[in-house]
Amino acid sequence: MFDYLANPARFSRIADAVMMPLAIITGLLLASGLYFALFNSPADYQQGETVRIMYVHVPAAWLASLGYVALGICALFYVVWRHPLADVAMRAIAPVGAIFALLTLVTGAFWGKPMWGAWWVWDARLTSMLILFFFYLGVIALANGFDRLERGSRPAALLGLVGLINVPIVKFSVDWWNTLHQPASLLRSGGISIDGAMLTPLLLMLVGFHCFFALVILLRMQAQLTARKITAIRLKSGHGAGS
Amino acid sequence: MTSFLAQIRQDLAIAWASRMDSAVMLIFFVIIVTMFPLAIGPDVATLSPLAVPIIWIAAFLSILAGFDRLFSADSRTGWLDQIALSKLSLAYYAVAKAVAHWLVTAMPLLLTVPVMAVLLQIPPTAMAPLMLALIPGTIALTLLGIIGASLCEGARRGGGLMALLVLPLAVPILIFGVLASQADQLASPSLMLLGAVCLVLMALAPPVAAAALAESDEDASQ
Repeated sequence: MFDYLANPARFSRIADAVMMPLAIITGLLLASGLYFALFNSPADYQQGETVRIMYVHVPAAWLASLGYVALGICALFYVVWRHPLADVAMRAIAPVGAIFALLTLVTGAFWGKPMWGAWWVWDARLTSMLILFFFYLGVIALANGFDRLERGSRPAALLGLVGLINVPIVKFSVDWWNTLHQPASLLRSGGISIDGAMLTPLLLMLVGFHCFFALVILLRMQAQLTARKITAIRLKSGHGAGS
Repeated sequence: MTSFLAQIRQDLAIAWASRMDSAVMLIFFVIIVTMFPLAIGPDVATLSPLAVPIIWIAAFLSILAGFDRLFSADSRTGWLDQIALSKLSLAYYAVAKAVAHWLVTAMPLLLTVPVMAVLLQIPPTAMAPLMLALIPGTIALTLLGIIGASLCEGARRGGGLMALLVLPLAVPILIFGVLASQADQLASPSLMLLGAVCLVLMALAPPVAAAALAESDEDASQ
């Protein structure tokens, strides 16, 4: 499966074919998810209307962590097998993951202000998410920190691998430490602890966010492959050599 | 083993020849520590709970600043090529650099900590846990430093980039280090956790640094 997809030209063809249906599915999921989240779901008996922030906050947080796992897997493929497509994927994922981490922190702050009375608390969950955000920034900075673009790939991949240590800390911080941030409601031992009326929009948004993430990554990978092709052509024809 | 020791000896000799540089690092540490009371105010009641964190932050910054371009001279002079060709593996080379760097920067810093403690009004009874925590703390930080320095070798913006990479990784060292320094007993749980972080880094840092240095060496010879 990996070998089959690992050919950049074949990858491009498949990505082209997948992208349009994926975009339609993403649009439908996010539209219906937002409709349920904003209009057709109950307000929380304690939190009131602010609970609707959850429908953006939770999916964004999932993708920030999962995006980092995906980045780590690409990094592993690049470090071990030096596959160029893994590098392209890693570079495509990093900024998107960073944005999701930032979105998590910002929506969390908007939620925290009315609920906890503070924009920010030095809670284990919040701090570990902030550090995850810093890791994303580090990978981006290192990947683009060298004069020759490809030179940054291996250092960035190595940093990405080292940063994987933080992902379980983000996930389990609410279980390991007694934190202000509430514990998990979906992926927890003992089953889902969230009411069906809220679960529907949350699941729609979760799946929608995942599709959106996949769509953006495919788009960015395609763009990068094209950009590399253009550079190669220019170098071959003698233009832009040394630029 | 002999080449490993020879590498350490060489680094120490170079450090001794340019001993002013190490002295500057030490002065940097002393100045950061003295800046805090000037900013916070000399009141003992406000200053004394902050004394241990101040020492840790100052140690962090001055040790990290020393890592800028740790491998640059070796890369530029072709020494790294010679290492790659020799029997000494890049991982052991990185460890040798870390040992020499710890001896040159962290050790003098540890020796000045008692003096700084007097300046910051840390009671003599609190000195033992502080010193005991600073030893694994500085070792762990040095290991992180070789990860950062090897990853950034050849990059455009070495210094700032390295701080961005290393500081998030250094968070557990800072947290457990400060907790262990302020603990009532010597062998506190925080000290054990700090030791655990240090051991994990001992396993992690040499192969990561070796992989990054191999890449930079390959790049330089192209």
